[in-house]
Amino acid sequence: MNNPYTIHTLDNGLKIIIERMPDVNSAAAGFLAKTGARDETPEKAGISHFLEHMCFKGTSKRDWQKITVDFDKLGSVYNAFTSEDRTFYYGWVPRKNITAQIELIADMMRPAIPADEFDMEKKVILEEIAMARDSLDHVAFDFLLQHIYEGHPLSWPVLGYDQTVSDLTRDDLAAYHERRYAADNMTLVVAGNVEPQEIIDNTAKLTADWKPAGDNHHRQTPTPRTGTANLVLERFNQQIVAICFKGVAGNHPNHESIEAATSILGGGNSRFYWNIVQTGLSPSAGAHHMELSDSGLTILYGQTDPDKIEELTDALRAEAKNICQKMVEEKEVQRVRNRRRTTLAIEGESPYHRLVQIMDDVDYRGAPRTVDQRLQAAQSVSANTIADTLAEFPFQGPEFLVSVGPRDWPATNGSSDS
Amino acid sequence: MANVTHKTLNNGIEMICAELPDRHAVITQIRFLTGTADEPIDKLGVGRLVQETIDLGTEKRDGRALSDAFDELGASDGGSIGREATSYSCLVLPEYVDRALALEAEYLRTPTFPQDKIDVALDLAKQEYRAMQDDAQSLADKFIGQQAYGNRLGRHSLGEPETLENITRDDIVNHWKNFYHTGRMRVSAAGNITANQLEDILEKQFADFGSPTPAGRDNYDIQFTATRVHHEKDLEQQQIAIAFPAVSITHDDYPVQRIMLAILSGGMSSRLFTEVREKQGLVYWVSAWGEYPRGHGMIFMGASTTPQRCEKTYNTLLREVDRISEDLSDDELDRAKAGLIAKIETQGDTTRSHCSELADDLFHHGHQIPRSEKIARLRAVTVRDIRRYFDEHPRDKLSVVTLGPRILEGAEPASNGSNGGAH
Repeated sequence: MNNPYTIHTLDNGLKIIIERMPDVNSAAAGFLAKTGARDETPEKAGISHFLEHMCFKGTSKRDWQKITVDFDKLGSVYNAFTSEDRTFYYGWVPRKNITAQIELIADMMRPAIPADEFDMEKKVILEEIAMARDSLDHVAFDFLLQHIYEGHPLSWPVLGYDQTVSDLTRDDLAAYHERRYAADNMTLVVAGNVEPQEIIDNTAKLTADWKPAGDNHHRQTPTPRTGTANLVLERFNQQIVAICFKGVAGNHPNHESIEAATSILGGGNSRFYWNIVQTGLSPSAGAHHMELSDSGLTILYGQTDPDKIEELTDALRAEAKNICQKMVEEKEVQRVRNRRRTTLAIEGESPYHRLVQIMDDVDYRGAPRTVDQRLQAAQSVSANTIADTLAEFPFQGPEFLVSVGPRDWPATNGSSDS
Repeated sequence: MANVTHKTLNNGIEMICAELPDRHAVITQIRFLTGTADEPIDKLGVGRLVQETIDLGTEKRDGRALSDAFDELGASDGGSIGREATSYSCLVLPEYVDRALALEAEYLRTPTFPQDKIDVALDLAKQEYRAMQDDAQSLADKFIGQQAYGNRLGRHSLGEPETLENITRDDIVNHWKNFYHTGRMRVSAAGNITANQLEDILEKQFADFGSPTPAGRDNYDIQFTATRVHHEKDLEQQQIAIAFPAVSITHDDYPVQRIMLAILSGGMSSRLFTEVREKQGLVYWVSAWGEYPRGHGMIFMGASTTPQRCEKTYNTLLREVDRISEDLSDDELDRAKAGLIAKIETQGDTTRSHCSELADDLFHHGHQIPRSEKIARLRAVTVRDIRRYFDEHPRDKLSVVTLGPRILEGAEPASNGSNGGAH
């Protein structure tokens, strides 16, 4: 197959990655700003996410109403998200609208941050934080990061805290934007039925006044702590437990193997499903590999009635120990490979799915991968590569355990919150 | 354009297939015309238990071996139950579609419903019911559904703790026998498959599967209750849910209603997002959407906000519905239309969307409605149509639920049996 990619870096440092998909009727585009919660200081926790909101609130050319009206006129499926280490703005439109779509998002990347809209949006974000506190899953995940990465920028929530968000000023956001949304810290990704050279030429014009920052901000690689922490919240009925181990980074050669291992352990038709869920111990038990550019976490989790939490924790540990001590069977790996093959076949037809996959590949692995290359990588996993990976990154031994719910469990040495 | 074939087979199955030969996968959906509305009143939750346990053992193999067989093909299947239908969907590569449908036929036709799996499923259903008490939005959805639809269509798929206690293996087996047969079966498929291929597979795999006599096609009545009920619960935010009757998908005014909903809640320039969130900062989440039981329509609005802003949010939600007929412009109408139509070219062009659209067309209309016709009807809507819509279908009856620490003025506290699970 011909190389479907056009990769170009503009003079100002902005990278452009385009995948041509000639058989579809639509196209998707997104700007990646390589910045997120881990690039903040603790007193400014939540600033990346706040800035993401403010990019929708007006530019020198458009007020917030014009931004939203223009998106909707294009018939765009659009949004943005902020994570620990990236912020991504995207729109998926009929192919005839892709030029206008890129122009609109590019304009948003230079927000005016109007003072009155800043104050209004602060209220919206405080509501978002309040909403997160009503979700047991959300509370548990934030609590986990707070403790396992204590002392590191990954320890605070992406949304920030009531106090830090309340204290942020418009000038804080403007200064953060200048450093972190510089042309050389951003990438434009496009997937769909498009003409690459046209996109490059247009983007060069649209971003002619974008400057590189040469920002020397360096991310500190985190070291997950070991230990135990619990959070007692009597207003919830269920208890969540999460057992975490050091995982692999997104650019690690074994990252497909650890994905396969977590799938065998806690995905569909998995050991957790048959040996934990289907014994009635938990309605939801799973394994997740959280991947960042320089690190990773394997999280084994489950939710159950508070009085069954010890039994659930023992069961999660027993399955994790088993997969580490006894090599997985080749047929288990083959099942994962087969599922992946079908999923990739369907995802490959959607420019939106490709956009997100390419963004992820570019950010964590340095280059885009075609659907075929992704498939090849998934097919290269074997029982041996999983065994090698688990030898280096075992799901047993030193761990961090968090428990959140109405029960004060387990006993901790000073890490119990309420 | 996809070549679409719709026919009723000799065994009673109604099938519809969109041939998309350039796609790399196939999506199928087997939809039985039976849902929570068909459950015995003292056995609520039994329909979902059938769906959850039907693939946990067949006459040939146990549940795990069945899952392994799907995985050998790389096929992913899954079931879900709604108010009037239970669906089993499958995503598979074209070369394995016959084998995947054979596996689906195996568990749909010859489930053994092992007692130990039933015991676990009942246990899990009770746990999931308790877990739902921790999910404020799901809980508010459940309460507003009960108020808006009444005793039959307003049932929650999980059932109730007391009805789950009543359910035995015999109840599950009987429910399956009564409602799983070809006369209630509709199969839709889209992707790299031909109609002839699908027909051959369905004729072979589902020959003599129960009664071929058409069933499950009658509409149920709605028992709408115009009331405001507050459910006390210890939450950071107050959940607000509003429902009012609307027109059905088959009504001439459905395209008008669809555009009205897009104006209200279609994108970030829609009225709810603009007025409730962006101009007043009252909420993070706010939305309006339509639900369509066969022959009926219901509009829902939802938002969550901190308790002291609840009244203001509630009043703004209703005000925005009313304001549409007062000051709608041609520009705003055109934007809503453009948005809806463009999304048909993006999200609507996936194989999965093609399949579910065919299934929904059959469910509501009994036949496919070509996309060109749907788009033409959307394009034809005028500002005058929207105003007439509000004249002819006023939102004069409201059902309202609030869930949280603060009772709305004029609301009744929920009776003990349906509180928010606070403790």
